[in-house]
Amino acid sequence: MNDTAAALGLKPGTPLADARAMYPALAAFDADPRADAILLEQVADWCDRYTPLVGLDPPDGLLLDISGCAHLFGGERELGRDLVGRLARQGLHVRIGLADTPGCAWAVARYGDISLVPSSDMREVLLPLPLAALRIGGETVSALAQAGLRHIADVIDRPRAPLAARFGELLLRRLDQGLGHEEESIEPRLSVPAYVAERRFPEPIGLEQDVLGTIEQLARELSRIMERRDVGARLLQAALFRVDGKVQRVEARAGQPLRDPERIQRLFLERLAVIGDECDPGFGYDVVRLSALLVERLDPAQQGLAGEDEKTELTHLVDRLSARFSARRVTRIKPCDTHIPELAAVETSAQFTRGELTSSPVQQDSLTPARPLRLLVKPALIEAVAEVPDGPPARFRWRHVLHEVAAAEGPERIAMEWWRDEQERPLTRDYFRVECRQGLRVWLYREGLYGRETAQSRWFLHGLFA
Amino acid sequence: MNKTISTAGKPATLCHLRRVVAQIEGQDTDLSFDACTSTLGVPAIDRVLQGGLTKASLHEVAAAAWPDLGAAFGFTFALAARVAGRRHVLWIQTDFAALEGGAIYGPGADQFGLPASKLLIVKVPRPIDALWAMEEALKCRALSTAICELPNDGAVADLTATRRLTLAAREGGGFGFLLRHRPSPLTSSAETRWEIAAASSPPDGFGGLGHTTFAVSLVKNRRGPLGQWTVAWNHHERSFSALSFGMAQAAFDRLDRAPLARAG
Repeated sequence: MNDTAAALGLKPGTPLADARAMYPALAAFDADPRADAILLEQVADWCDRYTPLVGLDPPDGLLLDISGCAHLFGGERELGRDLVGRLARQGLHVRIGLADTPGCAWAVARYGDISLVPSSDMREVLLPLPLAALRIGGETVSALAQAGLRHIADVIDRPRAPLAARFGELLLRRLDQGLGHEEESIEPRLSVPAYVAERRFPEPIGLEQDVLGTIEQLARELSRIMERRDVGARLLQAALFRVDGKVQRVEARAGQPLRDPERIQRLFLERLAVIGDECDPGFGYDVVRLSALLVERLDPAQQGLAGEDEKTELTHLVDRLSARFSARRVTRIKPCDTHIPELAAVETSAQFTRGELTSSPVQQDSLTPARPLRLLVKPALIEAVAEVPDGPPARFRWRHVLHEVAAAEGPERIAMEWWRDEQERPLTRDYFRVECRQGLRVWLYREGLYGRETAQSRWFLHGLFA
Repeated sequence: MNKTISTAGKPATLCHLRRVVAQIEGQDTDLSFDACTSTLGVPAIDRVLQGGLTKASLHEVAAAAWPDLGAAFGFTFALAARVAGRRHVLWIQTDFAALEGGAIYGPGADQFGLPASKLLIVKVPRPIDALWAMEEALKCRALSTAICELPNDGAVADLTATRRLTLAAREGGGFGFLLRHRPSPLTSSAETRWEIAAASSPPDGFGGLGHTTFAVSLVKNRRGPLGQWTVAWNHHERSFSALSFGMAQAAFDRLDRAPLARAG
């Protein structure tokens, strides 16, 4: 139902056929609860501008905990007016209730005549409201109605035990919650960041450099707060509130606790450079908020005379590269205790790897390294001529080029781990270090023991030596 | 003109002139050129390079032909291993380059002389990203070496791009290596340009493989003549040793001499 339909006198609940009979040109659409839920989420995101504590109340409500925030907007009344006004400009009609308890606010928003309830008048305001305002199920409401109880005033002073026995505990609990006798908290949909800095603009900003400049200013504020508590941020989030209600969130991670405003700004510079196209400023942003979602202890360190510590600089480089290319693309090599070549080293994200990675020395029985410098991602199938059963190859063809083997070392037999499933277990490999006539040095293996595991063994090229 | 030619061979004059040029370009002139080189350990090559590879500059390495990829990786790795010290080495690779030539293998790197724990690896989707990462890495003082590996002839690293990288290297003070899978015909502002081919290793006397051997040719050198050598890499001692000496060629591609040569 939109406004035009309401102006024509249509009401929710009118059968579609009736409505069509009255107005043949009526356009009707199926309800789309998922789209409604998404819209509600977006509005909740937008409401983040008022308080970090925004809870969803599906299907059509939002709960905002504005304790301690209202004065930033000139008081509760002003905040309410601002919220209603801004949402109206986005084409959303809202009713608000402002009260000391979520229950009372809920009731007033839906059934009340006024929106702002002073603490002293809570009871008086609730009394004339229908019982449905207590957030109890429709069945309980109709059961109460059959007993002649229609308004909150009808039940509020009745003996509690019979009411609870007949209509359930929920009724009394909601009543207590509405009046503030029982504590009720709003469950925020996003975790509340420990450190936040934000800036509001009377005129929206849209240029990337303006956004980055703002982020740097905010980073300065944030860093001052964090410095006071001796912490640094590991995960930062910049929330950009678009004028038309959309909120874009950009996250940046740091390998070590970070407090330096310029570095924070650089991280967001990289992030924005990557996701720049998705981040459409539209008509501009009117609120920019920077929050530290994850903090860690960071003790003040003495600055060296020579300027910045190398380690910090390296961490920052890794952070920037990770911000630009994603953390899984910036890696360090972590040795693993296995003799299967492709598993002996794994790449781990450099941002989350701390400390030294030491590897055990490999036995060396040759003048050339025992392991190749480069390992092919997938071993390449080659044609090779070799002595049976386990001689080194005499010549092989790789990528259409025939190579004559000049010298070979091997075999180095590497059996797959026996505790693995026998059906799935790959075949044993005989590795050879091979040098060709032209000097090409490669790491080849024969897959399968001739006669025992396979009748026709295949050859693979697994790595390149220098 | 003639006067310039006659003094070109004198290192002292050259050094003086370079300082003058450096002053004009607004560079730091406190460091003398000899102090910021790193030797290769082969006297013949070091002499040609006037002391060794220059720090805070960009060097190019390319595989002479496609089967020499491994050798080109190895030579670059060896250079990085010689200068690494206790600092880190960053290796930038495009996805396609990794597919072509394989990914860096930790145990192999350990044995080759550059511990894998000192390596940082960045894999980037496009060659242009590799250049961006390279520029960032070169500006970072905490790295001893940044290596950028580009597939094929790395056409994206043209004169403008290499000029940017050179400036970045000057700022950061580390070594920059641009590793191309194929020699490139493009001009570049790199200090030196090497073409590496695999060479048969000297026999070890037991029928096995000998020390890793490279056929090295220096095809561009801004500070002296060119040359070709065969060198072997001893990964235990992290040192090169010369197996043969090639004749040094005239440096026709040197920027400062090219017009003179043409003028006759």
